[in-house]
Amino acid sequence: MKRTSLTIAALAFGIGSAMATSAAAEGISLRKVADMLYQVMSADREVYTRRVVQRLTVDNKVVTASEHFEDDTALPLPAQMFRFGAERVMDETEDFSYALLSLNPINRKNGPGTDLERKGLQFVVDNPGENFYGEEELGGERYFAAVYPDYAVVEACASCHNGHKDSPRRDIEVGDVMGGVVIRIPIK
Amino acid sequence: MSSNVILWVVAATLVGAVYIATAMVVGGDRRMLLIGKTTDAHHQFEMSCETCHAASAFAGAAAAEKALNKTCRKCHEDELKAADDSHPRKKFRNPRMAAYREKLDARLCTSCHLEHRPEITRTNAVTVALDFCVACHSEGDQDVRTARPSHAGLGFETCASAGCHNYHDNRALYEKFLVRHAGEPWLAAAPVHKASARQRAPKPAAPAALGRGDAIAPEAALADPAWLDRWAGSGHAAAGVNCGACHAPKSGKNAAREKTLARWVDAPGTAVCEDCHRPQARTFVLGRHGMRRHPRVAKPRNPLRQLRKLGLSEVVPDEVASWLADAVPPTTMTVAEARIPMRPDAAHRALDCGTCHTPHAVDTARAAVEACASCHDDSHTRAYFDSPHHALWRAELAGKAEPGTGVSCATCHMPGTGRRGRIATNHNQNDTLRPNEKMIRPVCLDCHGLGFSLNALADAALVGRNFTGTPAVRVESIDWATKRAATGKRDTGG
Repeated sequence: MKRTSLTIAALAFGIGSAMATSAAAEGISLRKVADMLYQVMSADREVYTRRVVQRLTVDNKVVTASEHFEDDTALPLPAQMFRFGAERVMDETEDFSYALLSLNPINRKNGPGTDLERKGLQFVVDNPGENFYGEEELGGERYFAAVYPDYAVVEACASCHNGHKDSPRRDIEVGDVMGGVVIRIPIK
Repeated sequence: MSSNVILWVVAATLVGAVYIATAMVVGGDRRMLLIGKTTDAHHQFEMSCETCHAASAFAGAAAAEKALNKTCRKCHEDELKAADDSHPRKKFRNPRMAAYREKLDARLCTSCHLEHRPEITRTNAVTVALDFCVACHSEGDQDVRTARPSHAGLGFETCASAGCHNYHDNRALYEKFLVRHAGEPWLAAAPVHKASARQRAPKPAAPAALGRGDAIAPEAALADPAWLDRWAGSGHAAAGVNCGACHAPKSGKNAAREKTLARWVDAPGTAVCEDCHRPQARTFVLGRHGMRRHPRVAKPRNPLRQLRKLGLSEVVPDEVASWLADAVPPTTMTVAEARIPMRPDAAHRALDCGTCHTPHAVDTARAAVEACASCHDDSHTRAYFDSPHHALWRAELAGKAEPGTGVSCATCHMPGTGRRGRIATNHNQNDTLRPNEKMIRPVCLDCHGLGFSLNALADAALVGRNFTGTPAVRVESIDWATKRAATGKRDTGG
């Protein structure tokens, strides 16, 4: 499982880096780069959630998914899988960064931490199907930032969030926006 | 002031500057550059400055700090990974953490662990104030006092000092783990340390086991019955390891008599031990006993090479260059250099395999207790011999109790660890030492409940008495975790 996580993370990192490099060379807009990064992240996230977690935990019930997956001999949660990839990227580069956040996070640290994050997360909830773009300054550096909606793609997403003791929202249905993917690229 | 005096002052300053610059860049005695007492453990290689100060002598402050922190990670990243580090550096590299980094830059080890600052250094080489958690967990949504009613009246100086949280290693302290182990009795019905039981279980005689008459050694060696008897009763003989395996390592394993005698070495070094006992050797250099031999500790500098880098190799005579050579540090730690209470009569001992393991007898029972107490002289060690753990150890050694029921020093401080189905003694004594909650999962929980373990380890006086008595401290984390789990809903405070 760890190997699978690392492979996906490495793939995402490789594609991301290649995008950032080619963007700089060919003058692609930061918005376009962020959109492409999101396509990769979103596809990997949906594939893991639908083809691994939903199939094995809900449909076939052969294994569970757990935050403490090593102690529990379980699958990492989809949100963890996404975070592992994001942290793996941060191990290698600061050319771009991303995070999965929500206005109703189970883990408080995944709530909005900047004004742009708060505004963007609200925007994707209020404007189904649209993305939010903006700029912000963090730690003395200017960033292009994009916020993309993150949906409850399968029943496993909704049931886990609705049943978790720390979830502030208990009425999630498949198809709802649960939060957003925030991508940042430094403006140099 | 006369011009002569000024000239002398200038000349003396120049000479001093050249001397210091030479010691920094080329080679030679660097003790005068030590800007403050080094932390425990790091003091073992404090004259190998490049181990930590990896940047060039002329690097800027930012580059030097970056290089310094990289060296921290190179030595410590494996243990942090194994600890499932709760605050990994990568988490704080994301720009969205910038506001937190302004309060405490968790990307840098040196934000909390400054070297050469004894006046502000606490246990675990921590140099930030005890309430450091306040930096990130005291405001807005992250304010733990409003998020958790149980934490409402708590001071931030208690987060990491009351047995509840550690900054890095929370493997035995996270909420779900506490809930899972809630209500466990203080002592299991059949307390056995599983790894020790596997290590000490009687083993069937190996087909290749050797006896007294099988020893292949020079006549002089065979003439000493004490050596021969010790070897014949050892694990080495039981495993079919003849004298030549250690005394004639270049002759090949269990070589013929002629070849063994031709290549005989009276006093082989520890390399022969390491050749067979690799997991033990690998972990030995990670702990305080063997740290000086850690591969990342910088080797003494070669002044000729340094001069060549500076383009001065032709200018400086070889005699001067050799005078500048670094003093070669001893490769093993001596008891006298330890900074904890040790026995004066052991001060001269240097730590290698043979310090604890008598080479011929290979008595692991002695190595697990008596060897420790022959050097260590603190209250915890002295109290061990009157403790319940020692009584259990004696019973096991006497054959009155099952393997793994006895508790030696090594049971807790050098527990066996499994890898690919094989158990090997972890010779990194620091792996379970501090914070002492690191000991809970690999050691304590095999025999004791989590609640009792947390309480016992948080009671410094009880630790000093080597767990003779009952804990006078009660860590409330299990109660709080089970209460929160029982509500089954978000704990929003109020």
